[in-house]
Formats: sequence, C-alpha cells, structure tokens
Amino acid sequence: MSKALAPYLLSLPGGLWLLALFLVPLVTMLSLSLQTCNFGTGACVMTWHWGEFGQQLNLYHGQLLTSFYYAGAATVIDLLVSFPIAYWIAFYGGRKKNFFLLMLLVPFFVSFVIRTVVWEFILSDQGVVLGPLKHAHLLPQNFHVLATGFAVVAGLAYNYLPFTALPLYVAIERIDKRVLDAAYDLYATRRSAFSRVILPLTIPGLFAAFLLTFVPALGDYVNQQILGGTSDTMIGTVIQNAFLVNLDYAGGSALSAVLLAVALIGIFAYARLLGSRTIEDYL
Amino acid sequence: MSQQPGQQPDGNNPAVDPSIWRGMTSPRMSRRQLLTAAGAGAGALGLSGLLAACGVKGVGSASKTSGPAATGVGSASWWAKQQLNHQVNFANWPYYIDVLKGKHPTLEHFTATTGINVTYTEPISDNLPFYAKIRPSLQAKQPTGYDIIVMTNNSPPLGYLIDFGWLVPLDQSKMTNFYANAGPLVKNPSWDKGNKYTMAWQSGWTAIGYNGAAISNPGTSVGILFDKKYAGKVGMMSDPQELGSVGLLAIDVEPATSTESDWAKAAQFLQKQKSDGIVRNYYDQSYINALKNGDILVAQAWSGDIFQADLNSKYKNLHLLIPSQGGMFWTDNMCIPAQAQNPRDAMTLMDYFYQPQVEAVVEYYNDYVCPVPGAKQVLLNPTGWAAQALKEMKPEIGLPPSTTADAPLVFPTQQYIQNSRSYYQYKSQEELTAWNNLFLPITQGS
Repeated sequence: MSKALAPYLLSLPGGLWLLALFLVPLVTMLSLSLQTCNFGTGACVMTWHWGEFGQQLNLYHGQLLTSFYYAGAATVIDLLVSFPIAYWIAFYGGRKKNFFLLMLLVPFFVSFVIRTVVWEFILSDQGVVLGPLKHAHLLPQNFHVLATGFAVVAGLAYNYLPFTALPLYVAIERIDKRVLDAAYDLYATRRSAFSRVILPLTIPGLFAAFLLTFVPALGDYVNQQILGGTSDTMIGTVIQNAFLVNLDYAGGSALSAVLLAVALIGIFAYARLLGSRTIEDYL
Repeated sequence: MSQQPGQQPDGNNPAVDPSIWRGMTSPRMSRRQLLTAAGAGAGALGLSGLLAACGVKGVGSASKTSGPAATGVGSASWWAKQQLNHQVNFANWPYYIDVLKGKHPTLEHFTATTGINVTYTEPISDNLPFYAKIRPSLQAKQPTGYDIIVMTNNSPPLGYLIDFGWLVPLDQSKMTNFYANAGPLVKNPSWDKGNKYTMAWQSGWTAIGYNGAAISNPGTSVGILFDKKYAGKVGMMSDPQELGSVGLLAIDVEPATSTESDWAKAAQFLQKQKSDGIVRNYYDQSYINALKNGDILVAQAWSGDIFQADLNSKYKNLHLLIPSQGGMFWTDNMCIPAQAQNPRDAMTLMDYFYQPQVEAVVEYYNDYVCPVPGAKQVLLNPTGWAAQALKEMKPEIGLPPSTTADAPLVFPTQQYIQNSRSYYQYKSQEELTAWNNLFLPITQGS
C-alpha cells in the first residue's frame, strides 16, 4: 500500500510547485485575457470577451512573426557560434576547462540591461566605432547599426549565448572520447566521424540549447527597445507596454496567451520530430 | 473618529472602532486589507474564485468622493487635526528641481526655515507606470510612501486619482502664497477647478527640438518633422498622447476638439511618415540623448529640456521651435495621495514653492514655464536669500539669471500663450482604447 503511494508522495512537492507557480498564474493569465478591465482602477470583470484575441492579433500579428523570426535567427547564430566553442573546451580544454568556461561567462556577471545599453553607446551613429569610420569617409554619413533588425538579432544572440553554450558543453563533454578513436579505427574520415558519431550524440544537448535560447529570446523585450528601431518591434515589447505602460491587462494577457500557445505547439512538434526520440535513446 | 498623531487617517471608514486601530501592531496593514487578502486566499480554492481573484474588484475604488464630507479627509475639521511631523516625502520627475553641488538649494532653505526634513526622490518617469505602482497601495487604503506626487494633466492618471478619491483635498486656508502669487495659467485650471486637489509644479510645451548646426533654416511649421530631407534623423515620442497630438497638428486639426475620424487621419499621416523612413525612432525621455549625440537632428521635445541643453555650451546648437500650428501645453501638478502620512508638512512645502524668491531659484535651473510670474522680478533684481542662492548657482549654469527672466519659454508672452494648444480629454475608456489602438501600433511597428 505505502509502496504504491510512494511515487505520488514523492512527486507531491514538485506537483504543488507546478500548481502554485505555473498552473495558477497560467490560468489567471488566460482568464484575464477574457475579462474587461478598467484602466483606471485596474478592476477586471469576466465578460468572456473572445474578441480581444482577434483585435490584438489584428493589431500585432506582424510583431508576433518578427519575434519568431528574430528569436530563430539569434538561436541559429548562437548554435553555430557556441558549438565550436563548447566542442573545443570539452575536447581540448584539458585542465583549464573550468577557466575557459568562466571566461565564457564573465561578461554575464554584468546586468543584462547594462550590457545592452553599453552596446547602444558603442554603436551609436557618432559613437566610438562609427564616428571615426564616418569621419574617415569609410562609411556614408547616414549609415547606422542601431535601430535596425540586425542590431536586435545581434543583441539577442549576444545576450543569450551562454544559454546555448552551456547545455551544448555538457552534452559534448559527456561523450566518451574513445568513440572517436573507434570511428577512426573503422576508417571513418574526420568529417564522417563528426557527422555520424559526434553530432548524433549531441542532439539532446542541441535540443536543450535550442529551447533555453529560443524561448526566452522569443519573449525578450529589452534588446529591441534599446537596439531596435521603428519597424522591428518584438511581441515582448508590445506585451510589456500593454501591462506596464498602458495598463491594458486584458490585451497584454491575450497576446501572452497567443505567444504561449504558438510557442508550445511549435516546440511540441519539434520535440516529436527531433527531441524526444533521441532523448529517450541517449539518456 | 478621533485621530491620534501618527495614526492612519481614514475618513471613509468611520465604523472602525478606535480600539482596533490602537490594537494594530503594524500601522501598514489596515483591517480592510486583511479581509481582502483573506478573501482572495479563500476564493483561490475554486476555479470561480481563481477567476475572481485576478481582478481587484471594487477594493476601495468605488469611493467616489465628489467633495470632502464635513468631517472627512480633506475637510476643514480634518485639516485642523493634522499636525506637522517635520518630515515630508516628495516624489518628482528626474532633473526637475534646482541642483547645486548635488544638493537642492530650495529644499535646503525650506528645511532651514521650517525645520521640516524633505526626502526628495525622482521615481516618476512616466504617468501611467508610476500610477500603476502606487495604485495597489491606494486601493488597499495604505500609504503610498509619498506625501507629494507630481502628475501631468495630459495623461489619464491625474483624472483617475481625482475621480476615485485618491487625492487629499488641499487645505485652502494654507495656500496663501499660492493665491497671492500663482499665475493665470495655473490658477483654477480646467483639470482641477478651484485647485481643490492640485497646485502646479511646472508647465511646458511639447514642441520641436532641432540641431542648429545641421538645420539652419527650420521654418515655422510642424512639417519639419515630416520633411523627407531629414529622413532617418527625426525622433518622435512613443507616448501615444504626444504622438497623436502632433499628428493632429500636422493635419491642421485642433487636438482638444478633434474627433475619432480626425485621429484615424492623423494616424495614417504618422504611419506614412514612418513607412517613408523619416522616423529614426519613437523615444521616451531618451530623445534628448539621441539629439545630443547626433542620432537624430530634429525631434518632438519638451521645452525645458531643450532650453537647459541650450544653456550648456556643449549643446548650444540645440534649439526649440514652437510651430505655427501650436505647441502642446501641459502642466505637471503637485498633489497629496490619499493616506499620505505627513499631509500638513506636504501643504507647507507645496505652498512654500509659490514664493517668487523660491520659484526664481527653481526656474534658474529648470527653465520650464514658471507658475509664479513674480519670480521674473526676483531673477532680474535678486534680493535676500535668493540673491545668495542664484549667485552660488551661477558658475555652474554659466549664464546670468536675467537670461532666464527674459526667456519667453519660462515667462511666456501673450503670443506664446495664444500659440499653446490643449490635449484631447478622453470622455470614456472606449475613446482612450480607440486612440491607443490607432497610435500605439505606429510606435510599436513590425
């Protein structure tokens, strides 16, 4: 009897945690998106106003697409950049592995916002980089990096790099180095050893890195506000403004719900295609 | 209900037995708040409760006190019971008061002459977000921690605060300086008839700031913001009220009397400005940095910001243009939030600023529109304490006080006043939503 109950008892703390800190806020948000709120008092009444979704999507579907596009681009950049880094540290870091990992993390001891604002300062039109280049007529006067989608993607990629690099490192580090020797013994070229041995073994790490980078980047509202311009607004900025600047709680909730739903569907589809099978296989 | 010194004033809750107040160990938790919290906790058990718990239905919001009851908060008898606590917490916008070597001369003088300590903070950078921060305290009938806050008349929160009874009606008998010295622009204003709740802090125009080094002939029209010549170098404001209003001016519509169809046309005009690549970005207060570092050459700007920058030799190229279509005129207002713990001290400080000598010192630094016309004479012929303070500030400011005295941006001439425009006043939440849905998607483009 007690043996049968044990798994449930053991999962109770985790379950309560999920209930209190995930399900309750989630249901609250979903319910809020169907309510009508008074901007002044903040008081909300349930009106089952499904129209809010249509209206918000009508106004901001473009920003939603931009977010997926930018977060996707930043994630791909991060994967491409951090794979060699993680691979090199794991295979060739030797006794200095921890030192190299620390080097990777050092910039991230500085606050997220400060780091981004410093980039704004560095990249401003007449700033330390572009100013001299323009002065030397190497760049046209109206050239600018800030206020472009490129700057936003670069900022996202820069800010979320450790979230990609660390899970990848963990996955690569765990690979038994002798499998490479085995591959070479079986006449594998360096390329095929990488593509048929190393890469498949890192897929769970790639998947984790993708999730940890893509999901927060999707809802990011800092990079676009600081580095972006007029036509690259991400949905995170719209949601943040709805909640904190315009006090439109219903609208903000509706957009959050849409973002969550689309992200979950996409990620589950992705997991079924790529993630879960390999995680089961390799864990 | 008798008030003990240092106790929560709560005129709307006369049923509470004084012994309950005395028995409270924590002055920050009112009984109503306790019940609300308990109710929310109990309700959260069921789904219906969950849904209900999301809103904060009616907690303290329904108390629409149109005027103070004979004994309520803000009544003469209530004020008679308020005593000086020799402490006042003043929340203002950044860079909005005289500064000398990290201190504020007017506040130092106030403390020296009255014995009231001022805790001066600058937590307000936007009306709505600040309002959202203090609202939960007001709803729970708890002190916000501030005795004076400064809210703009062009944004909804000031109206909300008045409508919901979240401001303490002022003690009219202690506004001697105000009634003696306040100018016609801020006395008995349309947004607060009879100055029942507010006294102006400063006013200003939202007009156009431009870089004179790059733009020698700005013309006189708001059209400069829409000129393709400056494509990519134009800064607009992200605030929907500011953006929409300048859009209306650009299509020759008076913002205060505009209609929803005008708004749609203005939004279309602004959308085209953006799609033509004219707008560099939509800014909050940061537009002034973008102007200074050359990211933009011309922008929607607040008059005092540009005038302050103009005085600084490093940015002497920045100039202000109040276009022929008019400058949007706004006023920031000091008011006392409900449950303020030092209302008597707050009244004393607010009225203190209405002395010409004090306001002269504030304006010498600030350069927004002075609510006290008499301060001009003090700036021209300083006497007493003000003479000393102005003299000490002069090396840092660089220009003589007479420059401030002669500036129409600080002491507006009749022509400037006639060229001022008022913001549209929303008649319902639907109107506000309609306005926001037109102008917000422009500032948040994809």
